[in-house]
Amino acid sequence: MSTAEIHARLTQVMREHFESPLLVVDASTTAEQVEGWDSVAHVGLIVAVEKAFGVRFTTKEVKSLDTVGDLLALLERRSA
Amino acid sequence: MSFLSMVFAACVAITVIAFHVAPARLRPHVLLLASLGFYATHGLGYLALLVALTFCTWRAALMIESAATEQGKKRLLTAGVVALVLILCGFKLAGALTKTPSAVQMMEQDAVWRFALPLGLSYYSFRLISYLLEVYWERLPAQRSLVAVSLYVSFFPQIVSGPIQRPGMFFEQLSRIGRIDPEDFAAGLRLILFGFFKKIAIADRLEPAVAALHAAPGSYSSVELLFGAYAFAIQLYADFSGLTDIALGIGRLFGIKGPENFDLPFLARNLQEYWRRWHMSLTSWLADYLFTPLRMALRDHGQAGLVAAIFLNMVAVGIWHDFKGTYLAFGVFHGVALSVSVLTLKRRDAFFKARPGLARVRKVVGPLVTFHLVVLGLVLFRAQSLPQAAEYLTSMVSGSIHGDVSPLRFALDDMPRKLLMALGGLVLFMEAVHVARRSPALRERFMVSPRTMRWAGYYGLILLTLAFSRFGEEHFIYGQF
Repeated sequence: MSTAEIHARLTQVMREHFESPLLVVDASTTAEQVEGWDSVAHVGLIVAVEKAFGVRFTTKEVKSLDTVGDLLALLERRSA
Repeated sequence: MSFLSMVFAACVAITVIAFHVAPARLRPHVLLLASLGFYATHGLGYLALLVALTFCTWRAALMIESAATEQGKKRLLTAGVVALVLILCGFKLAGALTKTPSAVQMMEQDAVWRFALPLGLSYYSFRLISYLLEVYWERLPAQRSLVAVSLYVSFFPQIVSGPIQRPGMFFEQLSRIGRIDPEDFAAGLRLILFGFFKKIAIADRLEPAVAALHAAPGSYSSVELLFGAYAFAIQLYADFSGLTDIALGIGRLFGIKGPENFDLPFLARNLQEYWRRWHMSLTSWLADYLFTPLRMALRDHGQAGLVAAIFLNMVAVGIWHDFKGTYLAFGVFHGVALSVSVLTLKRRDAFFKARPGLARVRKVVGPLVTFHLVVLGLVLFRAQSLPQAAEYLTSMVSGSIHGDVSPLRFALDDMPRKLLMALGGLVLFMEAVHVARRSPALRERFMVSPRTMRWAGYYGLILLTLAFSRFGEEHFIYGQF
């Protein structure tokens, strides 16, 4: 899967998870910038991403994510 | 040594002078010496425990970083975290079993020390745990400097009652300690002044009425008890946020910024938001280091896993204060209420989205309902025992108009009506300052206002604090945990 495809799919997952059809995210987007992205929603998003991409993250990997860019990079590594 | 004592003020002044006179490379050493000296005044045995735990954690972090395998890293991390949690729980349990006075009893009895529980253990053990986890998660390199780690753990403005600063933020500032902005000093003094105002003029003024109502709830009418429940919420807020401001302010005198602990919590629209705005350094700590790992471990169990993670997290918030029935009940109450709130939020949002007229009502009703849930939980928090909490709550909802004593007698005894009204004004003023502090535009406007106006404000605040003070009866509620 290319970087652009991963980005598009991740955006779709996030739009559905946060019920925000117009949500736009880029590599620098952080949780503080997205309405409703708190600690409860965070793990919910991780579960949704795991299902959508067919991967499984460790807590250590999840704790290393500060931005959407970090999540994109992690997904790229996993799909490489 | 209390933050409110003259001796403490003198020690801070001496440390500030020594710190600013010292060459930049020695400034951390000056601060560490002052911090260890401050801690030593509470007992050399406890100082030895602090030093030993810090040294072991410093070594453990270096070993985690250099361990060859992931399994080895994990084993070291687990050993370190389990040891720290066991030590914390052991002391708390010892305190509970020896029936030492509760935090509230301590507050009322002018006691300053609690047998068995080392000062600030609840705070510094959490700092040590977060340091280990951050190194294990590779979010932070292990510090080579024992001085840096020791100062992070023992930094005297924050060791008594937080806020619980994250290691990355602290070490980053420590590396810039030679370049202190003069504005830091002024901001620190402003925070200290406002902290004293909240503590002395508001929290300590409300204390006698709150204590009287909680001591014999059966003697008062429902209205009085409701007033007492509101008053305690405000007292705790003013007391703890005042203490936090003083701690943050003293830190700024040395160029160290700490994390905020409160963000207008009583305006929260729901309980989730409330817990993101109250005692933020503890709740965000638990969210990062307990809730998220738990939620990850339970993520295959759907809603049941979510509820279990929320519930355990809130119970941890409760018993972090002490191993006591009332704190456990406080945690359970919030665990249940927060779970319900989280599970129903999406449905509530959809309901109000379809009814724009009601959505406007929700903006007012939401914070009101949240505030009353918080007040209800704080009755459990404040009570000395579960039967006393039950008596308070049943008397409060009984609808009794008259107690054994005349209505509002408690207020008239120690708090004339005019004073009560003035206190209401002070609370509004406190919140107005909190709102202004959140707004960069308002902060900027204050800073560029004429110097005479700003100084008039500072003097006014000092006069108000002196006018409302009850000297000699001060204790910080969160200084006990």
